[in-house]
Amino acid sequence: MGEQNELSRRNFMQSAIWGIGGLIGIVFGASAVAYVVGPSLKKQQTETWVRLGPTSKVELGVPTLFTFTVQTQTGWIETTEEVSVYVLTTDARTYIAMSNICTHLGCRVRWITDQDKFFCPCHNGEFDIEGDVIAGPPPRPLDRYDVKVENDQLYVLIGG
Amino acid sequence: MASKITNWLDERTSWRQVWDAIFLRKVPKVNWLFTLGSASLFIALNQAITGILLTIYYVPTPDHAYDSVQYITTQVPLGWLIRGLHHWGASLMIIVVVLHMLRVIFLGAYKFPREVTWFTGVGLLLLVIGFGFTGYLLPWDQKAFWATTVGTRIAGTPPIIGDYLLRIIRGGTEISAVTLVRFFGTHVWVLPALLVILIGIHLYLVIKNGISAVPKKGM
Repeated sequence: MGEQNELSRRNFMQSAIWGIGGLIGIVFGASAVAYVVGPSLKKQQTETWVRLGPTSKVELGVPTLFTFTVQTQTGWIETTEEVSVYVLTTDARTYIAMSNICTHLGCRVRWITDQDKFFCPCHNGEFDIEGDVIAGPPPRPLDRYDVKVENDQLYVLIGG
Repeated sequence: MASKITNWLDERTSWRQVWDAIFLRKVPKVNWLFTLGSASLFIALNQAITGILLTIYYVPTPDHAYDSVQYITTQVPLGWLIRGLHHWGASLMIIVVVLHMLRVIFLGAYKFPREVTWFTGVGLLLLVIGFGFTGYLLPWDQKAFWATTVGTRIAGTPPIIGDYLLRIIRGGTEISAVTLVRFFGTHVWVLPALLVILIGIHLYLVIKNGISAVPKKGM
């Protein structure tokens, strides 16, 4: 009987050690995951209309570049990020605003006037005047912003 | 199935022999004071895990150190917990390690054949104090700055070499960006590397020599 008691005590201690050890491991592991991925899941800035400038600046039938800065909080650092938008109009009434970020892998595209296309220098992606892909690896047209005109001023919707 | 894998592994690595030597070794009848060494090891493990996690956000430069620590504490999910475990673990480490040393002294466990275990233990105690000293500066707040001012001044008190010593520790005459990074580098690379080596030797000797029994009266 003594032997059996000794065996059960040993078994009890063994399961207690594995149980408590496992629990501590799970708490550490779960905390570490939450801690590491936390900032990645944080929502970006909220939607706001940003004023680009007067509509008179937009040349008819030529994508015109507007730039503005956005204040963002990244980690503990306040940064100003420069955003560029190409605005195109063919009738001076309706406007489209395109992002200059290549849809392939995020390099910046620029409008080449003599060739009538947007060109991305990273992997030779090409887009036509309305941002549709004409050559190279980009999987979809240039992203567009919602545009509105108020008192002859252009606004685009950013964030969200 | 599970035993199939462990048997396969055992045939090739003899891991069971190692496991048994570490966890199923014979020990004399002892009391709870004999767990202080294991407790130190557990806290060291806690410090390593939480310390590694802290470096994911911490930046050791004067313009970011304080803000990144505040960011960890107030913005990162469970950042307060990770930092808290590291902060309080550090204090607990000093307490437990000193108690461990006192137990070894009062129960005569440092005697033959365990002198070398004691020597490595002295080294480990110094390392732990080194961790405390270098880690204290890293939050880069007022307390950290002035504690390090005082601490490095103390290092500067010996005659002749004192001034050099102070400048070597600070990396210049003042506490600066250079001081902060070298304390950081020491805290996360130099001391941990030395700690792993010394813990390895310390534990090898504990297992090799077995632990001492509680001394009996008249012996």
